[in-house]
Amino acid sequence: MTMTSRERVLTALSHEEPDRVPIVIGASNATGIKMGTYRALKATLGIEAPDAYLYDWPELGTAALDEATLRRLHADVRGVLDLEPATILERNQARPAHSDYVNSWGSGAVEIAPGEWFPMVEPLAEATTIEAIDVYPWPDMDDPTRIAHMAGQVDALVAEGEFAIMVTPWLLFPLERAFAMQGMDRFLLNVALDPDFAAALLRRIAVVCERLMDHVLDAVGDRIDIIKIGDDLGTQQSLLMSPATYRSILKPVHAESIQAIRRRTDAKVFFHTDGDVFPLLDDLVEIGVDILNPIQTSAGQMADLGRLKRRYGDALVFCGGIDTQRILPHASPSEVAAEVRRVVEALGPGGGYLLGAVHTVMDDVPAANVLAMVDAAVSTGRSPVHSR
Amino acid sequence: MTGMAEAARFDALFDHILVGDADAAVAAVQTGLDDGVPATSLLFDAMIPALEEVGRRFETGEYFLPEMLVAARAMRSTMALLRPSLVASDVPAAGRFVMGTVAGDIHDIGKDMVDLMLEGAGFEVIDLGVNVPAARFIEAIQEHEPDVVGMSAFLTTTMPQVARTIQAIRDAGLRDRVRIIVGGAPITEAFALESGADGYAPDASSAVRATRALIR
Repeated sequence: MTMTSRERVLTALSHEEPDRVPIVIGASNATGIKMGTYRALKATLGIEAPDAYLYDWPELGTAALDEATLRRLHADVRGVLDLEPATILERNQARPAHSDYVNSWGSGAVEIAPGEWFPMVEPLAEATTIEAIDVYPWPDMDDPTRIAHMAGQVDALVAEGEFAIMVTPWLLFPLERAFAMQGMDRFLLNVALDPDFAAALLRRIAVVCERLMDHVLDAVGDRIDIIKIGDDLGTQQSLLMSPATYRSILKPVHAESIQAIRRRTDAKVFFHTDGDVFPLLDDLVEIGVDILNPIQTSAGQMADLGRLKRRYGDALVFCGGIDTQRILPHASPSEVAAEVRRVVEALGPGGGYLLGAVHTVMDDVPAANVLAMVDAAVSTGRSPVHSR
Repeated sequence: MTGMAEAARFDALFDHILVGDADAAVAAVQTGLDDGVPATSLLFDAMIPALEEVGRRFETGEYFLPEMLVAARAMRSTMALLRPSLVASDVPAAGRFVMGTVAGDIHDIGKDMVDLMLEGAGFEVIDLGVNVPAARFIEAIQEHEPDVVGMSAFLTTTMPQVARTIQAIRDAGLRDRVRIIVGGAPITEAFALESGADGYAPDASSAVRATRALIR
């Protein structure tokens, strides 16, 4: 029996095996494709579509995939995103070429190479006091132009009924925001020097994030399937901060934001967190994460997919798992297909797995490897999936 | 001062660095210098062992980035006091190290940690910063004649610059004059060696060990 994409995703989310493994690609930045590879894909596929960007944000560099490409990639989930306020979008469109991009938070990016932007505008870099947090002009999350378009997009997808809907307001990740406001090293130094200040900054950011999340969910929360939040907590081999530090300053913030989401929607909570986060998975389950992303198999204990599935397969749905550090950029299409089979056989049995690339597909990934990934998922991801 | 008091002095300074108490570390170094303790003793008998312990704790998962950053900051804050005495006492550096992230890559936190750990271990570090083109590495090799050149790349998209930079150093006829060590999140030992490097380190504290091994 062939399912619609939405049925396929919902089946996997309820820990049952769908007709084939669902595919998440292009629905958000972390599951997205950079513009270079998107252009190569369109050329390979003979698809003509404009070079549009997620969040109407060229400096982010991630493509808003056209519907024909999404269908060719067998994408089972459609993303609905918010926007920066119209005034900010207009200001950035009108600014001199190559000048710094600054968003509504006052943080932003510098062009480090032609067309390549890196977050280096850090308005709270020198802040070390609660007072500096209090007096900072935090962004207006009540601006209606942030979300005015979202209800219509969701309504159209609901009417179509074909795809699961994932909503990702940018970027309601408190730690990531603290890094953007202070710089990663300065904020982490403050975590060690003055945990009360660090915790206060995270809480203030979380309040701002929750305001936007409330508006988004009031508008569309009753008819979406997945709501995405997160924070990158892992490194290549370990965690950014100790489990004890996480539990004291950040876990309460994440827990509160998930509770606030639950008050407004039945959508599943999709939590994006890079790196080796294995030591925090009990915590993430405890605070109510439903879907864990991206399963960075190149990082430390996340490599052991069998153990991950045995220990957390009942509590968590896994999303991601196809390596972007070695396999997708460097392997041959047949090696990509073999890796897809390996990951599907480890994570797919019994449902609870959505296949995707571990991070944004960067411009060093050949179009042929993106196609090999999704085609292998379709051909080998059919139920029943058994570990061999 | 008795031997026991002297040992207590070194233990205290060791602890200040280990927990990252910069003010206490600076005060302890100042008191030590005032009491006539050689800067080299403060450095080699207390502070460098402390930084090595920081590195050990990082590798075993007792310490994480915040603890490492704050210890490195404490170490660095004492260097202004120590440096004049060290120069006067003519202590040879453990080696000279030129460091940078490769062209197109501006992720600096890993590079900065490597700088701090190497400085702490007695190396003279010349940091070329981020987004360093091959030509700048070549100039720095000619100008500073380092023992070791370190380069880091955080993204898969900037990894190819490692091999290109090393090839450019080879084309400039300088490859035999330096040892080259490579690191960064997506980099593996196999990749480093294939790219033409002599060594690889997955993190800042192993970078010290790997660098020592390269110039031994």
